[in-house]
Amino acid sequence: MSTQAVQVTWLDARETLTAAELSRTCGMSPEQLAELVEYGALAPIDRTVAEPLFSGACVSSLRRAARLYRDFDLDLFAVAMLLGYLNRIDELEREVHMLRAHLPGHAGVASREGPQPWREPHG
Amino acid sequence: MKYKDYYAALGVARDADAEQIKKAYRKLARQHHPDVSKSPGTEAKFKEIGEAYATLKDPEKRAAYDELGRQPAGHEFRPPPGWAHQYASDAQGFEDIDLADLFDALGRRHRGGHHAPMPVHGRDYETAVRISLEDAHRGATVKLNLADAGGDRTLEVTIPPGVSEGQKLRLRGKGGKGRNGGADGDIYLHITLAPHPVFRADRHDLYFDLALAPWEAALGAEIEVPTLGGPVLLTVPAGTRSGRKLRLRGRGMANGRGGHGDLYAVVHIDVPAALTDRERELFEEMAAASRFDPRAVAAGEAS
Repeated sequence: MSTQAVQVTWLDARETLTAAELSRTCGMSPEQLAELVEYGALAPIDRTVAEPLFSGACVSSLRRAARLYRDFDLDLFAVAMLLGYLNRIDELEREVHMLRAHLPGHAGVASREGPQPWREPHG
Repeated sequence: MKYKDYYAALGVARDADAEQIKKAYRKLARQHHPDVSKSPGTEAKFKEIGEAYATLKDPEKRAAYDELGRQPAGHEFRPPPGWAHQYASDAQGFEDIDLADLFDALGRRHRGGHHAPMPVHGRDYETAVRISLEDAHRGATVKLNLADAGGDRTLEVTIPPGVSEGQKLRLRGKGGKGRNGGADGDIYLHITLAPHPVFRADRHDLYFDLALAPWEAALGAEIEVPTLGGPVLLTVPAGTRSGRKLRLRGRGMANGRGGHGDLYAVVHIDVPAALTDRERELFEEMAAASRFDPRAVAAGEAS
C-alpha cells in the first residue's frame, strides 16, 4: 500500500473557479450552469468580465443539487429552487451552531453532547 | 451478454409512456436513494433502476432495447445482426459487454457521431473528517485510507491551521482515475469539530462558561482562565452581571488568514449549595443592609 502526502485547497471564498472548472466539479454542463445563473440561483463574483469566476463557497451546495438533479431527473428550474433552499439550510445550520456556542453550557441542556461549564478549582 | 428486464426493474408495463416511466423511476429512486435508505443492497438497487431509466427515458435507446424482444432476466443472448457494426466500440464481441455499457455507447454515437471513446472523469469521493478543536487551531495531518480500482492507498492529508466547523476542503486529482484522457477525480473533505470539554466554537471565536461567586461578580476579581495557549489572568470588572460576555481579544482559534478569533468568557453567578454558619450570618447581614433590588428595573419596565 502506498502513502502519499497531499496538500489541500480551501473550498470557500478564498478559492475561485472558472465556469469550466465549476462544470467539471459539479458534473453539470456550462450551459446548465448559465441557466442557473439566469434563474438567479448561482451568481458569478463579477458579471462584467468576459470569463466569469465563481466563489469556491458555492461548490458544495451546487454538487449536492447537481447530484439530486441527476438522481431524480429533475428539471433545471427545480434545481434552481433547490439550490436556494440548500443554501438557506446551510445558513440556518450555521446560525444554530453559532447560537449553541453562545448558549451557556449550564442552561439546562444536559443531554447535549459537548462542553461542560468551566470552573476554577476550589481551594 | 446477459439480458436485463428494464421494464420489470421499474415496475412498468412495456407499453408505458414516458411520463409513467419517469414517475415510476422517481418513486423508486426516492425509496432506494442512498441518502434516504440505509438498508443493505440499496446502492445496487439504486444503480439497477438508474440503468433501466437511462435506457427507457431515451426514445432511441428504448426502441433499440425493445428490438431485443422479451427474454428471461439473466438469459444469455446475442444482439441482432448489425449491432456489432452499429454500436460496439471496437471489433470485440458482445460476450463480455454489459447491456448498460452497450446502450451508453449507443447514446454517445448519436451525440458525438464518432467512434473515439469519450473522456470519462474519475470518480469524486466525499468524506467527513472529525478533528479536535486544538488540531483545527494548529493544523493537523490525517490519514485517509482509500480502496478503489487504483488499489489500496493511504493519503496523508495536511489540514492547514484555521479550519472551522463545516469547512470544506478539496484534494485535487486524488479521487478515482479518469479514463480515455479524462481528469482524475477529486476528494472533498467535510470538516467537523469534536466537542471540546471546555470551549464551544463559533467559527474562529471560542466561548466558555465562567462561574463566579457573588462576591467576585460584585467586587471584581483577577481570575485564571483557560485559553488554547495556556491559562491567562482575566480581570473581571466589579459589578459583572450573569450572562455578560468578557472578551479576550485574539485568544480564539487561528483563522487561516494570519489572524485569530476572540475568546469569550460567558459569566454565570453561582452560590454555595449549603452555607456555613458564618456565611449565612454574612449573607443575612448583607440582606438587611443592602438596598439592591434586582427586580426594580424589570418592575419599572413592566409598568
